[in-house]
Amino acid sequence: MKNRFLHCIVVTVAVLFAAYAMVSDVNAQAPPKPTPHLADGRPDLNGTWDHGGGIGFVRPQTLPDGSVCVLGCPPAATAAPPRGGNNPPPGARGGRGDAAAAPDAPAARNFPKYKPEFLAKVKDLNDRQVQTDTLLQCQPPGVPRIGPPHKILQNAREVVFLYDDVNGSFFRIIPTDGRPHRKGLPAGYLGDAIGHWEADTLVIETVNFNEETWLIDNGAFHTKDLKVVERLRRVGDTIEYQATAHDPALLVEPWAMRPQALRLTDHELEESARCEDRDLEHIIDGSHHDNPR
Amino acid sequence: MPKRFNCLLAVLTMLLVAASAVFAHHSVAGQFDTSKSLTLKGSIAKLQWMNPHIYVYIDVKEADGTVTTWALETLPTAMMRKAGLSKESVMGVPGELVTVLVVPAKDGTKHLGWISKITYADGHYYALGGAGPVQ
Repeated sequence: MKNRFLHCIVVTVAVLFAAYAMVSDVNAQAPPKPTPHLADGRPDLNGTWDHGGGIGFVRPQTLPDGSVCVLGCPPAATAAPPRGGNNPPPGARGGRGDAAAAPDAPAARNFPKYKPEFLAKVKDLNDRQVQTDTLLQCQPPGVPRIGPPHKILQNAREVVFLYDDVNGSFFRIIPTDGRPHRKGLPAGYLGDAIGHWEADTLVIETVNFNEETWLIDNGAFHTKDLKVVERLRRVGDTIEYQATAHDPALLVEPWAMRPQALRLTDHELEESARCEDRDLEHIIDGSHHDNPR
Repeated sequence: MPKRFNCLLAVLTMLLVAASAVFAHHSVAGQFDTSKSLTLKGSIAKLQWMNPHIYVYIDVKEADGTVTTWALETLPTAMMRKAGLSKESVMGVPGELVTVLVVPAKDGTKHLGWISKITYADGHYYALGGAGPVQ
């Protein structure tokens, strides 16, 4: 009896582990390769990078007659991989309000810890998300909500992040030569960033945000004093990415996003399509419209 | 109940819980009534390759000879790209008759829906979710 119970537990855990492995971007890492370096000795972050998360677990199927099943597909026993192979384009992230946009559940559970006096505001924003979330109105997602960059350009003086986002194409210029934060800039959605190297890790500090964006879905507002620290470390053909939000006026403790593994891809970025929301007026029951990135 | 069945039930239950976490926030249902569907036959009049959702406009000829244009929403551009689909592939051959399985708008807006599946004159199709497994 006891053995049967243990066997059942083992089987259950094994099945769950296998299921998790199927949807986990971190588990999709390629075997380690040597980490390339630039002439200045820094790790080479240049390249186009696939996050592999968000909708990455959706596996489109292309059939011999040219049919394509993107969602609601039968088992893929006989299906061919989609054109372009299994390596999704860097911008292939979830849009809004679609099954493809199923959020990465761990991130959704990893919510910032607000001080008690701010919980009512978080709840109110969350309850009225369709009206209050500016991201649903095609505005820039902000940092860290925008997620890791889709493309990185790097030289000895600065690093440039490019984003192919549902809401548009965005960029961030990050000096790495010791320049301080710029003064006199208007507060922005993506803030003002500076970077430095700690051994092989690029550390980016971003400040000077407006208050239009959230840290993540579900009403996670922030103040203008938000500081975001991102850490990027290249290991072979992957980059380990982590972002932590500091907003001590609101948060009990700094909030760390779920670490992500970025994989080098040969899919080049494309100009983002125009973003124009036409959905919100048709959502009549307060249903959530989440936006994993 | 046999013990093996108990174990199977436990495994299936935990898988269901895990799956529901992954597929939470299925917000097609926020805007469209996924309990309903209808089939349209018509030609693609216009396609707007835009975010957060692509719009496909279908001209449907009514029984009385008049033409009604439906605005049909589908996936974001990046996801279509991931699936190897382009604006041109979705447009098909100009003027060809397409059959579209549509999930209607939840708020009752007429001639607005979500494309669950679009099938072209030669039989190939694109399945885009929203109305259960592909048939």
